[in-house]
Amino acid sequence: MKKIIATLVIVMCVVGSTFAQDEIDYARKQAIDSLALEKVRDLSKYIKIVGSKETPFSEANRVIDRAEELFMSDAEIGVSSLGSNKITYYRVRKYFEHLMRLNYDRVEIEWYNIEYVSDLQRQPDGTYVGVITIFQTFRGYDKEGNLTYKDTTKKDITVYVKRKETQIGGRTIGFWDVLLGDMRVKETTNR
Amino acid sequence: MKSRITTALMVLLAVFITLGGTTSCKSKKRLAREAAEAEYKSKVDQAVKDLNAILNDETLWSLEEKEARVKTIKDWNLQNAEVDDLLFQVEKKLARERAQKDEEERRAAAEREKANAADAVLGRNFSSIANASSVSQANRVINETLGLFESPNVPVLIIIKQNAGFNDYDRPTTIEKYLNYVKDQKKAAEKVFDIKYNANGKINELELIKK
Repeated sequence: MKKIIATLVIVMCVVGSTFAQDEIDYARKQAIDSLALEKVRDLSKYIKIVGSKETPFSEANRVIDRAEELFMSDAEIGVSSLGSNKITYYRVRKYFEHLMRLNYDRVEIEWYNIEYVSDLQRQPDGTYVGVITIFQTFRGYDKEGNLTYKDTTKKDITVYVKRKETQIGGRTIGFWDVLLGDMRVKETTNR
Repeated sequence: MKSRITTALMVLLAVFITLGGTTSCKSKKRLAREAAEAEYKSKVDQAVKDLNAILNDETLWSLEEKEARVKTIKDWNLQNAEVDDLLFQVEKKLARERAQKDEEERRAAAEREKANAADAVLGRNFSSIANASSVSQANRVINETLGLFESPNVPVLIIIKQNAGFNDYDRPTTIEKYLNYVKDQKKAAEKVFDIKYNANGKINELELIKK
């Protein structure tokens, strides 16, 4: 019996230390938390640029390419409006193309209160997954400059952070790859 | 009779004292000469040993330590043919090493100066792009900055966190994408950490770090 207990203790220590080695320390975790938040803030800028009617077409297309690189390949972005209960989900490029074609003379898009609602948690495959919530205020103006539409939408964005490696200049570089998943509409109000 | 014996004894004593004193003096001189010869031989042996070690790269001394050793041996002024020959060879070898080291130091200083200059230019350009009043103005600085690089696809690494002995990076990007990122986001949140150049003096790898 003593032998069994001793074996179990040794196995638990080995397994425990293996898991401990996979964990990252607090400072590194903070760095990747900030990196993921930064990617979401970057996305907000891209949405603003593409949504602006003043952005040249070529610039908007370049920005859409950059924005697409922020997302997982199959990610979808939800779109809602005050006039309908329906939420339409678009693939990222389609969402941006839809945004470019909105029938307003001027559009203002602001994101605020960007924060984690679910901290990055390590999954069994080593990927860190978390959820960041944002509030988006959308304002559409007609050619006379009158505000014709306004809403505020709360959206949740799933973020995936995975440790990867690549070769650069003969060196192996370990990096944190942050990818955004689906952006789901949680609530739309006229505030 | 008694008086004669006394006189003879006195004479004998004087002879012994005189002879004894002379022998002692000669012995001291011999000892001193032997000591000097031993010291000279020891210095020659040491000089030959040290000079051969320098000549055959069998020492861990730095170039400065080797030069100091040679100076000490020369100051001994041993006037020994073997030592003189070795000194001649070692001095030639150290002169070559000194020239090589001076050249390396000069090249390193030039590289540092170049890196500092590029660092300043890049930092200034990042800031100009971020704060540009228009897209066209930002694009002008982007094109000017791209001229410093081997190609628009030069890799850019961004350190997000330095840990004990290694760095955590963001996903690698290219210089063209990075400069456009600075323009789009209107922020230059990174500073130059390391720059690598190709043989033509163009940047072929850039490492940045979060401010």
